[in-house]
Amino acid sequence: MPETSVRLAQLLPLMQERLAAGESVQFTPQGTSMRPTIYGGRDQVILSPLPPKLKKYDLPLYRRDNGQFVLHRIVEVGECYTCVGDNQFALETGVREDQMIALTTGFYRKGRYCRVDSAGYQLYCRIWHWSRPVRGFVQRCFYGVARRIKKILGK
Amino acid sequence: MKLKDGFILRTVAGETVVLPAGGVTDFDMMITLNDTGRFLWERLSVGAEETELVSALLAEYDVTEEVAAKSVAAFVARLKELDFLA
Repeated sequence: MPETSVRLAQLLPLMQERLAAGESVQFTPQGTSMRPTIYGGRDQVILSPLPPKLKKYDLPLYRRDNGQFVLHRIVEVGECYTCVGDNQFALETGVREDQMIALTTGFYRKGRYCRVDSAGYQLYCRIWHWSRPVRGFVQRCFYGVARRIKKILGK
Repeated sequence: MKLKDGFILRTVAGETVVLPAGGVTDFDMMITLNDTGRFLWERLSVGAEETELVSALLAEYDVTEEVAAKSVAAFVARLKELDFLA
Protein backbone atom coordinates (compact mmCIF):
# COMPACT_ATOMS: atom_id res chain seq x y z
CA MET A 1 0.00 0.00 0.00
CA PRO A 2 1.41 3.42 -0.88
CA GLU A 3 2.40 5.61 2.01
CA THR A 4 0.85 8.96 2.85
CA SER A 5 0.85 11.28 5.82
CA VAL A 6 -2.67 12.56 5.12
CA ARG A 7 -5.29 11.39 7.61
CA LEU A 8 -8.84 10.23 6.96
CA ALA A 9 -10.35 13.36 8.55
CA GLN A 10 -8.39 15.50 6.12
CA LEU A 11 -9.52 13.33 3.23
CA LEU A 12 -13.21 13.59 4.10
CA PRO A 13 -13.94 16.51 1.72
CA LEU A 14 -12.25 14.61 -1.14
CA MET A 15 -14.12 11.43 -0.23
CA GLN A 16 -17.40 13.34 -0.15
CA GLU A 17 -16.58 14.97 -3.50
CA ARG A 18 -16.14 11.55 -5.13
CA LEU A 19 -19.30 10.19 -3.50
CA ALA A 20 -21.26 13.25 -4.64
CA ALA A 21 -20.01 12.54 -8.17
CA GLY A 22 -21.63 9.11 -7.87
CA GLU A 23 -18.35 7.25 -7.48
CA SER A 24 -17.49 4.59 -4.96
CA VAL A 25 -14.45 4.89 -2.75
CA GLN A 26 -12.19 2.15 -1.47
CA PHE A 27 -10.01 2.22 1.62
CA THR A 28 -8.58 0.04 4.37
CA PRO A 29 -10.30 0.65 7.71
CA GLN A 30 -8.46 0.32 11.00
CA GLY A 31 -9.45 -1.16 14.35
CA THR A 32 -10.84 -4.42 15.67
CA SER A 33 -14.52 -3.62 16.21
CA MET A 34 -15.75 -5.28 13.01
CA ARG A 35 -13.94 -8.59 13.46
CA PRO A 36 -14.42 -11.32 12.38
CA THR A 37 -16.14 -9.79 9.34
CA ILE A 38 -13.54 -7.13 8.54
CA TYR A 39 -10.00 -7.02 9.92
CA GLY A 40 -8.62 -3.50 10.24
CA GLY A 41 -5.41 -2.96 8.34
CA ARG A 42 -5.92 -6.11 6.27
CA ASP A 43 -9.28 -5.90 4.50
CA GLN A 44 -10.63 -3.18 2.21
CA VAL A 45 -14.14 -1.77 2.04
CA ILE A 46 -15.97 -0.28 -0.94
CA LEU A 47 -18.20 2.62 0.06
CA SER A 48 -20.92 4.06 -2.15
CA PRO A 49 -23.16 7.13 -1.94
CA LEU A 50 -25.88 6.88 0.70
CA PRO A 51 -29.27 5.56 -0.40
CA PRO A 52 -32.38 7.62 0.50
CA LYS A 53 -32.84 5.50 3.62
CA LEU A 54 -30.48 3.14 5.42
CA LYS A 55 -31.85 -0.15 6.70
CA LYS A 56 -31.16 -2.78 9.33
CA TYR A 57 -27.88 -4.70 8.82
CA ASP A 58 -26.46 -1.97 6.55
CA LEU A 59 -22.83 -1.14 7.24
CA PRO A 60 -22.38 2.63 6.95
CA LEU A 61 -19.37 4.84 7.60
CA TYR A 62 -20.37 7.62 9.96
CA ARG A 63 -18.68 10.24 12.04
CA ARG A 64 -19.22 10.67 15.77
CA ASP A 65 -19.62 14.16 17.18
CA ASN A 66 -16.10 13.82 18.62
CA GLY A 67 -14.76 13.52 15.06
CA GLN A 68 -14.10 9.76 15.17
CA PHE A 69 -14.91 7.78 12.02
CA VAL A 70 -16.82 4.56 12.59
CA LEU A 71 -17.79 1.65 10.35
CA HIS A 72 -20.44 -0.23 12.32
CA ARG A 73 -23.56 -2.21 11.53
CA ILE A 74 -27.05 -0.80 11.91
CA VAL A 75 -29.07 -3.12 14.15
CA GLU A 76 -32.11 -0.94 14.75
CA VAL A 77 -33.79 1.78 12.72
CA GLY A 78 -36.01 4.33 14.40
CA GLU A 79 -35.86 8.10 14.54
CA CYS A 80 -32.12 7.55 14.88
CA TYR A 81 -30.00 4.49 14.20
CA THR A 82 -28.57 2.01 16.67
CA CYS A 83 -25.21 0.68 15.56
CA VAL A 84 -22.69 -1.85 16.83
CA GLY A 85 -19.48 -3.45 15.62
CA ASP A 86 -19.55 -7.18 14.92
CA ASN A 87 -16.93 -7.59 17.65
CA GLN A 88 -18.81 -5.49 20.19
CA PHE A 89 -21.68 -5.99 22.60
CA ALA A 90 -22.55 -2.45 23.73
CA LEU A 91 -24.96 -0.79 21.33
CA GLU A 92 -24.43 2.78 20.20
CA THR A 93 -27.80 4.51 20.11
CA GLY A 94 -28.80 7.87 18.70
CA VAL A 95 -26.68 7.85 15.53
CA ARG A 96 -28.24 10.51 13.35
CA GLU A 97 -28.83 10.64 9.61
CA ASP A 98 -26.58 13.70 9.27
CA GLN A 99 -23.64 11.74 10.72
CA MET A 100 -23.80 9.19 7.92
CA ILE A 101 -21.17 9.52 5.18
CA ALA A 102 -21.36 6.45 2.93
CA LEU A 103 -22.62 2.88 2.75
CA THR A 104 -20.52 -0.26 2.39
CA THR A 105 -21.55 -2.09 -0.77
CA GLY A 106 -18.79 -4.67 -0.71
CA PHE A 107 -15.48 -5.52 0.86
CA TYR A 108 -12.34 -7.53 0.20
CA ARG A 109 -11.75 -10.07 2.96
CA LYS A 110 -8.32 -11.71 2.71
CA GLY A 111 -8.32 -10.45 -0.88
CA ARG A 112 -11.63 -12.12 -1.73
CA TYR A 113 -14.51 -9.84 -2.73
CA CYS A 114 -17.79 -10.09 -0.86
CA ARG A 115 -20.94 -8.28 -2.00
CA VAL A 116 -23.13 -7.14 0.85
CA ASP A 117 -26.30 -7.94 -1.09
CA SER A 118 -25.38 -11.62 -1.50
CA ALA A 119 -27.70 -14.12 0.19
CA GLY A 120 -24.86 -15.71 2.14
CA TYR A 121 -23.69 -12.43 3.59
CA GLN A 122 -27.23 -11.37 4.50
CA LEU A 123 -27.74 -14.67 6.33
CA TYR A 124 -24.40 -14.22 8.10
CA CYS A 125 -25.41 -10.72 9.29
CA ARG A 126 -28.60 -12.05 10.83
CA ILE A 127 -27.00 -15.05 12.52
CA TRP A 128 -24.20 -12.88 13.89
CA HIS A 129 -26.68 -10.31 15.24
CA TRP A 130 -29.08 -12.85 16.72
CA SER A 131 -26.24 -14.69 18.43
CA ARG A 132 -24.90 -11.50 20.08
CA PRO A 133 -26.53 -12.13 23.51
CA VAL A 134 -25.14 -15.68 23.60
CA ARG A 135 -21.70 -14.54 22.46
CA GLY A 136 -21.77 -11.78 25.07
CA PHE A 137 -22.69 -14.28 27.82
CA VAL A 138 -19.93 -16.69 26.77
CA GLN A 139 -17.40 -13.86 26.68
CA ARG A 140 -18.43 -12.60 30.15
CA CYS A 141 -18.11 -16.14 31.53
CA PHE A 142 -14.69 -16.53 29.91
CA TYR A 143 -13.38 -13.26 31.32
CA GLY A 144 -14.97 -14.07 34.72
CA VAL A 145 -13.16 -17.40 34.86
CA ALA A 146 -9.92 -15.79 33.64
CA ARG A 147 -10.17 -13.14 36.39
CA ARG A 148 -10.69 -15.81 39.07
CA ILE A 149 -7.73 -17.83 37.83
CA LYS A 150 -5.55 -14.72 37.88
CA LYS A 151 -6.76 -13.96 41.43
CA ILE A 152 -5.99 -17.50 42.59
CA LEU A 153 -2.56 -17.33 40.99
CA GLY A 154 -2.03 -13.93 42.61
CA LYS A 155 -1.40 -12.09 39.34
CA MET B 1 5.50 7.78 -21.42
CA LYS B 2 2.05 8.49 -20.10
CA LEU B 3 0.07 8.08 -16.93
CA LYS B 4 -2.96 5.83 -16.95
CA ASP B 5 -6.29 7.61 -17.30
CA GLY B 6 -8.46 8.63 -14.40
CA PHE B 7 -6.09 10.02 -11.79
CA ILE B 8 -7.08 13.00 -9.71
CA LEU B 9 -4.60 15.43 -8.18
CA ARG B 10 -5.65 17.51 -5.20
CA THR B 11 -4.12 19.56 -2.42
CA VAL B 12 -5.21 18.13 0.94
CA ALA B 13 -4.03 19.70 4.19
CA GLY B 14 -1.22 21.43 2.33
CA GLU B 15 -0.03 18.19 0.71
CA THR B 16 -0.37 17.23 -2.95
CA VAL B 17 -2.02 13.87 -3.30
CA VAL B 18 -2.88 11.79 -6.35
CA LEU B 19 -5.13 8.79 -6.45
CA PRO B 20 -6.77 6.58 -9.04
CA ALA B 21 -10.40 7.49 -9.71
CA GLY B 22 -13.03 6.58 -12.28
CA GLY B 23 -15.76 4.30 -10.94
CA VAL B 24 -13.96 3.52 -7.70
CA THR B 25 -11.62 6.04 -6.08
CA ASP B 26 -9.02 3.94 -4.32
CA PHE B 27 -7.73 5.78 -1.25
CA ASP B 28 -5.40 2.88 -0.51
CA MET B 29 -3.50 3.73 -3.68
CA MET B 30 -3.14 7.38 -2.80
CA ILE B 31 0.35 8.84 -2.84
CA THR B 32 1.67 12.14 -1.57
CA LEU B 33 3.88 14.19 -3.88
CA ASN B 34 6.47 16.74 -2.83
CA ASP B 35 7.06 19.84 -4.99
CA THR B 36 9.41 17.99 -7.34
CA GLY B 37 7.02 15.06 -7.56
CA ARG B 38 4.17 17.37 -8.49
CA PHE B 39 6.37 19.10 -11.07
CA LEU B 40 7.20 15.75 -12.69
CA TRP B 41 3.63 14.46 -12.40
CA GLU B 42 2.22 17.46 -14.24
CA ARG B 43 4.64 16.89 -17.11
CA LEU B 44 4.03 13.15 -17.17
CA SER B 45 0.30 13.75 -17.40
CA VAL B 46 0.86 15.39 -20.79
CA GLY B 47 3.06 12.55 -21.99
CA ALA B 48 6.62 13.79 -21.33
CA GLU B 49 9.40 11.26 -21.89
CA GLU B 50 12.05 10.48 -19.28
CA THR B 51 14.68 12.64 -21.05
CA GLU B 52 12.22 15.54 -21.20
CA LEU B 53 11.59 15.18 -17.47
CA VAL B 54 15.33 15.40 -16.78
CA SER B 55 15.61 18.51 -19.00
CA ALA B 56 12.63 20.09 -17.26
CA LEU B 57 14.18 19.44 -13.83
CA LEU B 58 17.50 20.94 -14.94
CA ALA B 59 15.71 24.03 -16.24
CA GLU B 60 13.63 24.50 -13.08
CA TYR B 61 15.93 23.42 -10.24
CA ASP B 62 19.56 24.03 -9.40
CA VAL B 63 20.70 20.40 -9.70
CA THR B 64 23.33 18.50 -11.67
CA GLU B 65 22.29 16.31 -14.58
CA GLU B 66 23.29 13.23 -12.61
CA VAL B 67 21.02 14.13 -9.69
CA ALA B 68 18.15 15.05 -12.03
CA ALA B 69 18.47 11.78 -13.94
CA LYS B 70 18.56 9.77 -10.70
CA SER B 71 15.50 11.60 -9.33
CA VAL B 72 13.51 11.03 -12.50
CA ALA B 73 14.53 7.36 -12.67
CA ALA B 74 13.47 6.82 -9.04
CA PHE B 75 10.16 8.60 -9.59
CA VAL B 76 9.37 6.66 -12.76
CA ALA B 77 10.35 3.38 -11.10
CA ARG B 78 7.97 4.10 -8.20
CA LEU B 79 5.11 4.87 -10.59
CA LYS B 80 5.81 1.64 -12.49
CA GLU B 81 5.80 -0.28 -9.21
CA LEU B 82 2.40 1.21 -8.40
CA ASP B 83 1.18 0.41 -11.95
CA PHE B 84 0.32 4.05 -12.55
CA LEU B 85 1.88 4.20 -16.03
CA ALA B 86 0.01 3.34 -19.23
